[in-house]
Amino acid sequence: MKILIATSSVPFIRGGAEILANNLRDAIAAAGHEAELVSIPFKHYPPERIADHMLACRLLDLTETCGVRIDRVIALKFPAYLIAHPNKVIWLLHQHRTAYELWDHPRAGDLIHGPDGPVIRDAIRQADRELIPEAKAIFTLSENVSGRLRRFSGIDSEPLYNPPAHAQLFYKGPTGDYLFFPSRITGVKRQWLAIRALAQCRERVRLRFAGEADSPMQQAECDNAVRELKLTDRVEWLGRVSEEQKRDLYANCLGVVFPPVDEDYGYVTLEALLSSKPVITCSDSGGSLEFVVDRQTGLVAQPTPESLAQAMDTLWTDRQRAAVMGEAGRARYEDLKISWENVVEKLLC
Amino acid sequence: MLKINWFSPLPPARSGIAQNFAMQVLPALARHYDVVLWTDQDQVAPEVQRIARVARYDPAAPPWRDLNDGSISIYHLGNHPDFHGGIWRVSVRQPGIVVLHDLCLHDFFFRVWIHSGRDRNSYLAALERWYGEEGRRAGEAFCNGGISPASMALQFPLTREATRGALGVITHSGQSLAELKETPACPMAALDHPYVAAEEPRYQRWLAARSAVPHPPYRLIVFGYLSRNRRLEAVLEALAGIPEREQFLLEVCGEIWDEGRIRTQIENLGLSSLVKLLGFLPEGLVEQKLSTAHMAINLRYPSMGEASGSQLQLWDYGLPTLVTRTGWYGSLPEDAAAFVRPENEVEDIQTHLRAFLKNPAVFRAMGERGRRSLKNNDPEKYVDAMARFATEALRRSPQVPALALAGRIGSDLSTWLHPAASAYLLDRASREIAALCEDRRKLP
Repeated sequence: MKILIATSSVPFIRGGAEILANNLRDAIAAAGHEAELVSIPFKHYPPERIADHMLACRLLDLTETCGVRIDRVIALKFPAYLIAHPNKVIWLLHQHRTAYELWDHPRAGDLIHGPDGPVIRDAIRQADRELIPEAKAIFTLSENVSGRLRRFSGIDSEPLYNPPAHAQLFYKGPTGDYLFFPSRITGVKRQWLAIRALAQCRERVRLRFAGEADSPMQQAECDNAVRELKLTDRVEWLGRVSEEQKRDLYANCLGVVFPPVDEDYGYVTLEALLSSKPVITCSDSGGSLEFVVDRQTGLVAQPTPESLAQAMDTLWTDRQRAAVMGEAGRARYEDLKISWENVVEKLLC
Repeated sequence: MLKINWFSPLPPARSGIAQNFAMQVLPALARHYDVVLWTDQDQVAPEVQRIARVARYDPAAPPWRDLNDGSISIYHLGNHPDFHGGIWRVSVRQPGIVVLHDLCLHDFFFRVWIHSGRDRNSYLAALERWYGEEGRRAGEAFCNGGISPASMALQFPLTREATRGALGVITHSGQSLAELKETPACPMAALDHPYVAAEEPRYQRWLAARSAVPHPPYRLIVFGYLSRNRRLEAVLEALAGIPEREQFLLEVCGEIWDEGRIRTQIENLGLSSLVKLLGFLPEGLVEQKLSTAHMAINLRYPSMGEASGSQLQLWDYGLPTLVTRTGWYGSLPEDAAAFVRPENEVEDIQTHLRAFLKNPAVFRAMGERGRRSLKNNDPEKYVDAMARFATEALRRSPQVPALALAGRIGSDLSTWLHPAASAYLLDRASREIAALCEDRRKLP
């Protein structure tokens, strides 16, 4: 089969969605099909630009290439999933989140700050409601994304988990003297919350962050907070790390801190589980809650500095318990039988 | 539940919309919905703040984040730029329901752009947008004093400029915007102007006050904000022209667009002892004046088309009223008002004044019928109809960016693609835009 994977991306921004699209392409190829990525460059501001991109997607014709039929389009992201195709399957990573659950989020909300925000929001919601059902099957990244799609758009879907890249290479190392927080540095990942929590810890917990900031301003905010709270000797910014370094950092940490706002899925959680490390997450962190069982595979804190600090102190002082939770996490991952073979089979059936 | 951003003049603003309309509707509205009253006025009367939360906005930099907590904004527009200028500025940037208190808004735009802003280009561009080259030329002539304000208002009402981009338009008049060729590109509803009639015992007290002076001189009253179209000059001319003028006393209550001019006219016509200019009166004094008046004169020409809250107030007092046979006034029941033809204005006023002297009882009955008709103007009914209309109009929200997108595409294609070649693309784009914004859900 000739299969196109349709997605959208913000130029020069690389995150989990881009990795997933590449992995999907490789997995489809491994299953003996031809697969290519079609990525629509997406600029979400000013708000009216969003409508332009929606229309641009609707005007694309991906039914054939040089007279040869394209058998299937697998669409991943807004607005690429609006592309019409008779054999389209959607594997929804997420909708345009600031038109939905992040509409009035104090840090992430963007549309809400403009005069035309409500009408653009309504236009996105209406297009989703009417056009997502064009697909012959609708899968999502997680139960969390399926829940939102049902709640906001009234559309049923099936969650389809996928493994992180190079899942087989993650390993468990000796328990180190730091907590690890790998993620893009941006408001919704809440590095700022972890920093404030660190300031409230009773123990001298150390936190190592890996990942690049979406903008220099966001890194500067974090740096300023660390300075103001006098945490410079307990915080380390590693920036972008290689995949191998990342696996080592997972393998050798005491536990992983991952408190994002309503994460769609969260490879970080899966990578921690694969490394047999407990995960501290928050009760509003979304996808990670599908894998973190409180006090079994990690700790679920409230999204406040106080509560997060308490969880960090708990791991720091009870390392035996941390190790047990880490092992339970790995076992849970194995139980879920997450594999690309399963993903490809579902998307191509 | 609807969360409503309400934009209207509010007391103590000297506007009928503030003093009467808003104060009649808001208690009912706030009983059923979450309402925020947005204002750019320096002051808001304490009684308003007891009805709903009052929030301030700067028309140049509206607080969009806070406004977007509401489900819908309701903008009240009329011809007075001081009261409605800020509201209009927000309404053009954020689509909502536009409530038209005047159907002809030429005066408003002229004063906003030319008087206040000295922005002749915007004024002429708006005229060209809606009326083509003819509109622009007329605008230029008007700016140079070549066309009368009345003629401009009727020929080029510019109402579509105020409703452009709206989610819905509410009027209070049977006269339709279609008659004015100002139909907006969104749903419209004509609702009966709300009014809470006074309780019967209070009405009886007013009648008693009026009956206490059953003989001449009879008190005539003109009240409200008295712009030129209120025809005060014609009223004075008519009064001066009848020998029985000494049997009347005319009280003019309200701000006058050009008081010096009217004072001169009164003097020239020898009416100084018969006409009193009382200026803007507080509510208590208005009540005293209306309850002791024998007849009201409530003319409009040209009519800006809309229903008159002041007429409903006059009927509340059971006052017989002279109205112009035009616009909304022309649709009033024949037996509830006395009509004045615009083309025979002075003559008709004089005929009615004489008829009144001959048989005041006929006119009293007219006022009583007007009062009985107020049962159609229950604010609860108004609020219910307005909320249903707003809910329905909100479903049109996705069409606003879709229409803007269509405009951008048309404009862009015209710059680089030959019309013959663009037909296919325009057709494709139109169909896909329709698919993006089409709502196929059935209403419950």
